[in-house]
Amino acid sequence: MEDYSNIPIDTLDLPRFEEVQLTPLRAGYYKIVLINIALFYLLLAIAIGIGIYYLDEARPYLYTAIIISVIMLVLTLVISRISFKNKGYAFRTHDVIYRSGALALTTTIIPYNRVQHVAVHEGFISRKLGLAAVEVFTAGGNSSDVKIPGMDKQHAEKIKQLLMGKVLNEETDAA
Amino acid sequence: MQHSFGTPQRQSLVGVVVMFTDTLQSTLRKLWPLLLVMVLRINETNRLYIVLGVLGAALLLAIVAYLKYYNFTFFLDEANDEFVIRKGILNKSRIAIPLDKIQKVNINQSVIQKIIGVHELEVDTAGSSKKEVAIKAITHENALILKKHLLESDKSIPKDEFAIEKSTIEDEHPFIEISFISLLKTGITSNYARSFALLFAFVITVYQNIEEYIDITGYDDNPFGEYINAEVLLKFTIFIILAILVVTLLINLTRTIVKYFNYKITKQQNSLLLSHGLLTTHNTILRPERVQIVTVGRNYFQKKMDIQDVKIRQASNQESAKEQHKLIMEIPGCNETEKDVLLNFLLNKMPERGEMLKPSIRKVVVQVIKLLLIPLSIYFLTAHFLFKELYDYMLFLPLYIFFVTIMIYFAYRNSRLFTNSEFIIKQSGAWDVDNDILAPHKIQAVSLKQYFWHKRSDVGMVTLYTAGGMIRFGLADYKKLKQLVNYWLYQVETTSKNWM
Repeated sequence: MEDYSNIPIDTLDLPRFEEVQLTPLRAGYYKIVLINIALFYLLLAIAIGIGIYYLDEARPYLYTAIIISVIMLVLTLVISRISFKNKGYAFRTHDVIYRSGALALTTTIIPYNRVQHVAVHEGFISRKLGLAAVEVFTAGGNSSDVKIPGMDKQHAEKIKQLLMGKVLNEETDAA
Repeated sequence: MQHSFGTPQRQSLVGVVVMFTDTLQSTLRKLWPLLLVMVLRINETNRLYIVLGVLGAALLLAIVAYLKYYNFTFFLDEANDEFVIRKGILNKSRIAIPLDKIQKVNINQSVIQKIIGVHELEVDTAGSSKKEVAIKAITHENALILKKHLLESDKSIPKDEFAIEKSTIEDEHPFIEISFISLLKTGITSNYARSFALLFAFVITVYQNIEEYIDITGYDDNPFGEYINAEVLLKFTIFIILAILVVTLLINLTRTIVKYFNYKITKQQNSLLLSHGLLTTHNTILRPERVQIVTVGRNYFQKKMDIQDVKIRQASNQESAKEQHKLIMEIPGCNETEKDVLLNFLLNKMPERGEMLKPSIRKVVVQVIKLLLIPLSIYFLTAHFLFKELYDYMLFLPLYIFFVTIMIYFAYRNSRLFTNSEFIIKQSGAWDVDNDILAPHKIQAVSLKQYFWHKRSDVGMVTLYTAGGMIRFGLADYKKLKQLVNYWLYQVETTSKNWM
């Protein structure tokens, strides 16, 4: 008990998460986003085309459909670009920071000693580009889990090893 | 034959059947509207195509099932003390679970699995993607061995919740007993919001009927003119309103008593045993280390009568909010001393309110937009363009506006966040004022959110995630919130206390 001291900590002196320089995602990830958007709008265009071709009643609405689709496409592109620019992550000594969002900027922070498990995901297209996503799970429910896309595959694997190492170390330290 | 599971291996080969039925089930679930249309359109000419189509689909499903089976491997990584699962046909995933994070291993058997003689092994990690970690087809013998291996490294497995014998409970002296009087008080003072909504709905219906009645009969030649005059109508309405008030009160009262009759809390080693119920007695064991958030709530009347509800949220791995809701333990009608005893036991000490943070006035703006501007403009737009009849209900608008304004005002006035080094307390609510109490080491993750139109006034929201649900506070000074987040992170990252 003699060694015990309980000095108040100056909360202003604590390391600040908001000052950490976040790493942006790999440019290749934006390609994947664009490919997904392209696929969606291609399907939409085909659907509109078929509709116009087979349904006579739909023909007068051709231009309306095209205009709406184009506006939607432009909006999607702008939002996806903003959201890509906003995404960033950082691995600090004790926690992982992930920022994302377009209209609202959300920063989620998970301390390593609360990580339950880590998964590396590779989509079909991202595998071709050598990219992977790292997903960090906690016991705090789905909405608190963080999925960082657009990382180099090797990097992702390394991060996963690092996190798993941290998780295990924390446990042995605690024991 | 002793399996060590040290090398990646597949499931039992018959597991393909399970995969097949699983895939079939999920496909049917997704495509049933389409299939229904196809079935309805069956006629003589295309019967052959349908048969061919079904055969083709079955073949495709079989191939998918086989590939699923082929790509699913699991093994115990002894070096890293992990249980590793690899799966996925096109999208490959590798899931690794540290053995000491495993909470529970379930061995189940569905009908299909029973027919082909395999079992399902489910690993429960208290993480959120419980369903990802399940081996669909494994022999019973192997399942038992694997279960043993999985749980071997974990010395801190919680004992089975219901392992404690019931007989020992009887002779223990109850720690807290909620008296019948307290239950009566709780019964007549809770659930006002629901009663009010019911009343409001009723008044609108009555009003509508009277309108229709007058429309049909007309003012001039009212056949009951002498009997149904304004006075009688008014008396009748007041009578009905009073009757509804009494009935809802009685219903609330009965509900509370049936559910919570004879509420006893007994201390048992390190846990609490809660038992209550009039017709069926519910017994639950509550372990303080599983407790994540404790909520103390009461309204104005309950304050005057010295009663409050204590709600306890425990760590759960339930995915849906509904399931999580079921796990909330509610202790109604505690008086001040009972509440203090409970909090002391659950949180190890009395939580004190620390530094206070008020929400920004922008919170009121958001609420006004959400509860007044948007609903009112929807009302006026639909009334103007679609249903002119809606204008008949204009009479109720002042009532709605008055009520909502008061609610917004009180909700804003009561919204506070208190922090000190040991507890985070969030106070909220307009009529029923709740205090959510959370110890910082229970935090799993923190997130901060700011809309771009809140950037200039520098306000934002903070969410604290725990294994028993989340706590959200905002809109408040973003700079202050960031400071708090840094402090909480520091607390979580330096604590030696476990969250469970």
